[in-house]
Amino acid sequence: MADKKDEPTGILGSSLRDGLQLKPVRYEWAYDLYNQAVSNTWFPNEVQLVQDLADFDKLSDEEKHALKTVISYLNPNELLINKSLAFGIYPHLNAAEAQIYLSKQMWEEANHFMTFEYIIETFPFDREEIYAAGFGKKSLADKAAFQNKHLEIMLSKDLDINTLEGKKDFVRSLVAYNIVLEGIWFYSGFMVGMSFRQRNLLRNVGSLLDWITRDENLHLTFGINLLLTILDENPELQTSEFADEIRELILEAVRLEEAYNKDMLPNGILGLNADYVNQYVKFMTDRRLEELGFEKEYNVGNPAKWMAAANDTLELVNFFESTNTSYEVNSVK
Amino acid sequence: MNTISVVKRDGSKEPFDANKINLALVKASEGLEDQIAKVVEVASQLQLTLFDGITSEQLDEAVIHTALQNVKDDPDYDKIASRLLLKNLYKNILGDYDTAPELKKLHETKFIAYVKDAVKEGLLDPRMIDDRFDLKRLAKALDPEKDDLSRYLGVVTNKNRYALRKGSGDPMEVPQFTHMRIAMGLSINAKDPTESALDFYKHMSSLDYVPGGSTRVNAGGAHPQLSNCFLINVDDDMESIAQSVRDTMYIAKGTGGIGIGFTKLRAAGSPVKTTNTESTGPIPFMKMIDSALFAVSRKGKKAGAAALYMENWHLNFPQFLDLKANSGDPYLRTRLANTAVFISDEFMRRVEADETWYLFDPAEVMDLTELYGKDFSKRYGEYVAKADAGEMRKYHKISARQQFRQILIQLQATSHPWLTWKDTINVRALNNNTGTIHLSNLCTEITLPQDNENIAVCNLVSINLSAHLKDDKTWDWKRLEESSRSAIRQLDNLVDITELPVPTAMNANKKTRALGLGMMGFTDVIEKLGYSYESEEAYDLMDQIAEYISYYAIDESTVLAKKLGSYPAFKGSGWSKGVLPIDTLDELAKNRNVKVDINRTTRLDWEALRKKVKQGMRNATLMAIAPTANIAHIAGTTPGIDPQFSQIFSRSTLSGKFLEVNANLVLDLKKLGVWEEVKDQLLINQGDIQTIDIIPDEIKAVYKTSFQLSPYAFIEVAARAQKWVDQAISRNMYLETRDIDEYEKIYTEAWKRGLKTTYYLHVKPRHQSEQTTVSSNKSEKIKQQDSRKVGFGFARAK
Repeated sequence: MADKKDEPTGILGSSLRDGLQLKPVRYEWAYDLYNQAVSNTWFPNEVQLVQDLADFDKLSDEEKHALKTVISYLNPNELLINKSLAFGIYPHLNAAEAQIYLSKQMWEEANHFMTFEYIIETFPFDREEIYAAGFGKKSLADKAAFQNKHLEIMLSKDLDINTLEGKKDFVRSLVAYNIVLEGIWFYSGFMVGMSFRQRNLLRNVGSLLDWITRDENLHLTFGINLLLTILDENPELQTSEFADEIRELILEAVRLEEAYNKDMLPNGILGLNADYVNQYVKFMTDRRLEELGFEKEYNVGNPAKWMAAANDTLELVNFFESTNTSYEVNSVK
Repeated sequence: MNTISVVKRDGSKEPFDANKINLALVKASEGLEDQIAKVVEVASQLQLTLFDGITSEQLDEAVIHTALQNVKDDPDYDKIASRLLLKNLYKNILGDYDTAPELKKLHETKFIAYVKDAVKEGLLDPRMIDDRFDLKRLAKALDPEKDDLSRYLGVVTNKNRYALRKGSGDPMEVPQFTHMRIAMGLSINAKDPTESALDFYKHMSSLDYVPGGSTRVNAGGAHPQLSNCFLINVDDDMESIAQSVRDTMYIAKGTGGIGIGFTKLRAAGSPVKTTNTESTGPIPFMKMIDSALFAVSRKGKKAGAAALYMENWHLNFPQFLDLKANSGDPYLRTRLANTAVFISDEFMRRVEADETWYLFDPAEVMDLTELYGKDFSKRYGEYVAKADAGEMRKYHKISARQQFRQILIQLQATSHPWLTWKDTINVRALNNNTGTIHLSNLCTEITLPQDNENIAVCNLVSINLSAHLKDDKTWDWKRLEESSRSAIRQLDNLVDITELPVPTAMNANKKTRALGLGMMGFTDVIEKLGYSYESEEAYDLMDQIAEYISYYAIDESTVLAKKLGSYPAFKGSGWSKGVLPIDTLDELAKNRNVKVDINRTTRLDWEALRKKVKQGMRNATLMAIAPTANIAHIAGTTPGIDPQFSQIFSRSTLSGKFLEVNANLVLDLKKLGVWEEVKDQLLINQGDIQTIDIIPDEIKAVYKTSFQLSPYAFIEVAARAQKWVDQAISRNMYLETRDIDEYEKIYTEAWKRGLKTTYYLHVKPRHQSEQTTVSSNKSEKIKQQDSRKVGFGFARAK
């Protein structure tokens, strides 16, 4: 039992002994997210991926390349998020409800990682070939450098969450991993993946992406709530210099993504080309900026109106022909 | 903009011609409001998706998809997409044309050659061209203007699922050819094949009714497997089990839907005399069926599918319940096969009285599988007494209520097992002289008996109610009578034409001549009439319509019996004693000793019909209301008796994922001048209009989402129809609540009101992916709760 003087005061903290009591719940949003995350549990082998193999054969070389690129990018990066949570976020929080949520999120990243493994194993992908394709591409190296910079910060033994600089570093890492990597870069990959289903190809991959994006919605909700709570509880962070720095961090990430997409989609495939994907990236970035309290930067619309069908509506499944991705487990009152 | 070049079919390149696209769009949007604005919208969005080297095929696809993605803003875009796809089909299959009369002429001139070629290639039945049909007359009757009745999903569904195909996979049929092929295929044995084909074509091209999937695919074909539903009950011996796997494979290959009953298989641990070992129980054999389905599933055209049935007194019922759980040992899960539980009145009585329920090994209580109603209850009680006296080798006790709750919990989490009621089904059956009904079928609407020599078979057609509601909102009763009679004639012809993949199915087919006439479009018509699904007007309408269709279906069967003879097992059936479906409600109440809580009102002269029925019936059963998930797309209406899922939602099918906006709602909102204002909010609300202030209450009452309707409304609608339908109804359920106490009440009420079966349960998802085509902000909720949290907004405030 913690002494009175050790009682947690904010959501940030560094003591192992802190935050061992759930009740009274101090951050309802974290607790709600935990419960919803548990209900959303799914497993990749519920979907018969082998049915998509016939579709894969029908794809053009460019389309195969686009798909391989998206999958091989998302696969290791899901695990990277898992690590970033373990090393960079979890150790610095001080509320049981937040830590149980993060535990579930970390499992979900592992589950996503295994889902992409399942995809890689099922389709005739040559891992060596895929990783070699990105190798030497400056745009991919630049993105990796961005991630590595923030990973170094997280792993640094000098990060003291009780100091102003420590808190700033925490916020930088959270933005780099949750908002940028998960909330912008991943979303562009998901959109490319889902575009195949709109042309009635790779429907089972589409079902898996439905589940993944459903999880991501919670991940981002957590990250955004966490950021807003931290800013609120730590007014010393509320300087215009820091706000500008974070805004610039996000915009830099968009520039890196634009260059990457131009490399990955040099010619375009049906329904997509680099400009199209990059407009989508800017649209999603504007949304993230607004969610963080900033003003929009780009003011563009979502070119992928088909996402209304793909993603934005309740789905009625002909369950002889498609997997129902709307159920929940363990949700009985 | 860089020059984009398009690669034509012959490999040559030409620069992209925006003008050509614009002209095509103008033609496709003829008659629509704000035509030019729509053309410009699609053309400009299309630009974003082009790239150099796009093929002309890809370009066609791109234009259609670009049009479709605008459906959320206006359902008119669906019409544009539909016409564009039709134009592609006409061009690719028939050739070039400019005007409507030219198109009709093209249909006429190409039809006969198409039929002859298809016969030559071994795709169609040679009887199609052996002079029994006046092909010239049929060709002249083809009317492509009827294609305009279809929506995009209908055109693409027909193209992908039902149209006859070449070896390359490309369709050989335009939609009107498909209708005519089916009409001919079902008239091969008619007295006047040409007249019969013209009659069937007239109704089908007008979308008065639509035959079931298997019929649409195979009618007129060289291998006419036309039946849709099969029911197999497996016996407790290796021969029967092996046979059922074999039969499943052959039926699934022929695109049939199968119900398979496993109650007779002895429980796990039960002794096997021939090998002196123990049985592994029914579960591993169910797994075998699941694997067989996977092996035989066909891409593109209808895949075969199955539902596994078990009575809930079987010792292995708890393992049966787990078959659809999402985690666990894959050998104990059936990913493809569906599951349904066959429940007795005795069980429902024990649940109500909070008594104990006993589970037995069928090896010890085999006669229970053939008994139903009072007889089952009596025998069950005797076995219970034996168990209590220690005379049963194996048994298990559980609180009946607890098992009921377990069933409902699994239903909520996995949408299985579907609840079906054995005694309601058996006691009310009119064809009850050929054996017990042991299960229902894949979609829970067929209730026919089966045994070793007879795999039950049923053949389906669904009447499209929408086609029978006139523009002035009155019913065309005459047309409805004609459609019903024509559909029965078509189905009866089918019985003699269909070639079934298993001989035991042929036996049942010939012996019973069982038909399943159903309906679809119920919600479409009540919306047009301004009724809410949960209103007395709607219930009464269902009562009236079901009675009407049932009356004329039965009457036509008596007419056919007079002309061609009764079905072989007619003597001794309920029909032969002058019993009608409406009479069996009281029989059921007497048998279960519980009120069957549904009105007994009738509107038509059943006494007159009763006399005719006693003299002869052509068919053992007439009606069954199928889910019509796919054929409703052909008719462009709401499936079966289902409510609107939501006012905007996406449909996931073999042909893709499509956005659907309720066209009736859009029309009503446009009339009020508020559509533009509310369309984005409609999407944000995921199709729920109840919180949109500007919409008047009368509209809100008519257009609720399926999850907003009372579950008791679903029960009432089905109960009214079930008065008249002599088989059963695929009753989809839609629940927002997750409270299992509620579920108990709902499903008990369903049983009390005389429902024979229920079908898939949809539970409203509480959580979705982030919406991207409407604005969304995760911080909104937090800001509302706590106005201090503005994030980096402090930077702005300064």
